[in-house]
Amino acid sequence: MSKIQNYVLFPNHDNAMRLYRELKKNGLKAAISPTPRSASVCCGVSLMVEEEDLEKIWQIAEEKEIEIVKIAAVERDYNPTRGRYC
Amino acid sequence: MDNNRKMWESLGMNLEAHDMLCEVLPQAVGDVFLSQENRPECMDYYDMVVADIHGIRPAELIAHQEKGGKVFGTFCAYVPDEVIIAGGAIATGLCGGSQFWVPDGEKVLPTNTCPLIKASVGARLGRTCPFFRIADMYIGETTCDGKKKAWEILAEDVPVHVMELPQMKRRKNIDAWADEIRILKDVVEEQTGNKVTFDNLAASIEIVNNKRKALQRLYNCRKSKNIPISGTDTLVISQIAYYDDPVRFATMTNKLCDELEKRIEDGVSVFAEGTKRILITGTPMAIPNWKLHNIIETSGGAVVCEETCTGTRYFERLVDETQDTMEGQINALAERYMGINCACFTPNTARIDDILRLAKEYDVDGIIDVNLKFCGCFQTEKYFIERAVHEAGIPYLGIETDYTDSDAEQLRTRISAFIEMMG
Repeated sequence: MSKIQNYVLFPNHDNAMRLYRELKKNGLKAAISPTPRSASVCCGVSLMVEEEDLEKIWQIAEEKEIEIVKIAAVERDYNPTRGRYC
Repeated sequence: MDNNRKMWESLGMNLEAHDMLCEVLPQAVGDVFLSQENRPECMDYYDMVVADIHGIRPAELIAHQEKGGKVFGTFCAYVPDEVIIAGGAIATGLCGGSQFWVPDGEKVLPTNTCPLIKASVGARLGRTCPFFRIADMYIGETTCDGKKKAWEILAEDVPVHVMELPQMKRRKNIDAWADEIRILKDVVEEQTGNKVTFDNLAASIEIVNNKRKALQRLYNCRKSKNIPISGTDTLVISQIAYYDDPVRFATMTNKLCDELEKRIEDGVSVFAEGTKRILITGTPMAIPNWKLHNIIETSGGAVVCEETCTGTRYFERLVDETQDTMEGQINALAERYMGINCACFTPNTARIDDILRLAKEYDVDGIIDVNLKFCGCFQTEKYFIERAVHEAGIPYLGIETDYTDSDAEQLRTRISAFIEMMG
């Protein structure tokens, strides 16, 4: 089933992993994902985060001087039996 | 991630075509990996590597070149990375595991060539993979006819050195492989301008052995009754092993193993009790070929071991570190690598011994023999594998497939039935 998912986009993977570790430290949910093409044409690492955590995420990023390009809301539809590969 | 595009442009890549690969990766990663439940926390490292698969490591390779270093691309578990590393160079795996690259390969290769070779040639000639663009020299080997001819085509576009892999395992063949390793040493020295010495070879043997030990530890975790990590996750780790920095890879994999061993202690499994334990044997699964593992593990099975080049063939047995001369080191390398049991050898009965041993060690319920289409050696050897597995009383399923999605549903039906039949 599809849902709207928030993806945090970064200028590089260093910023992504720094924020990932900070979110984990703060007990916030985050998953590392390739950046969906509808959010950016440049590929790379993004973080899938929860809607209710967005304010806290911006706050942590500011405090820790982690650069975020944007947070994009993208329709997500993961299906482990889809049978489509790269 | 603007830097990625700049880097790809500077490598002369076909960005328009490459964008199509970028387009499908997020969905496939989501379906195959991120949809799994209760994955180990330490998979975050490998998730990062895959998420920016054409960004992070290629940038490291280019940084190495900018400092005057060389990058060698390899295609086979028989090629000794130790010699390349000892020469101050980086070895990176180049095997293509995506259907995306196959059409470009088919422009120059017969259609009835195995998809791994077609994808590898296509990735280079189609200019759609940064690793293939970055490597200063490719190290080929004479494992099969398809590869032998592919090197000649690739050599028109990029420097290629081919190692002559013997096809039998008599003493003289092992000595011949030692000779080939000596020639590789000369090639590496010529390309890098660095001498391969006893000391730097000893250091690189230790580095690569440590990577093997980390993978052995990871696989040992899968022997547990409670399986702490999926086969699909383990597969991507094995795939990454071919091109990641070996020291960092071993560190991260050992960190993951700490978590997995704790999971085993705590009785944590990523599979429901009673899930059938499957051993995969057959041809290599180069990144991003995740089809079979995904299908098996969403059809009631758990892949607990792979007797493949992206599995046990890559890390079983260490190179002897006790040698006190370079000649001894080279012979030790030859002994270790010639101990890999690939279907390109005749006879290759030791592979059957390996499969039956692994089936016991990993307590498997069934064996799936998966071979890429047009891989004549492995498909022919299937005759002996199937007979031996049947004689051992282990359920067996033989599959021939390629990188396309078109048989996914048919495979799901066959694999589901196979697993159901085990009761």
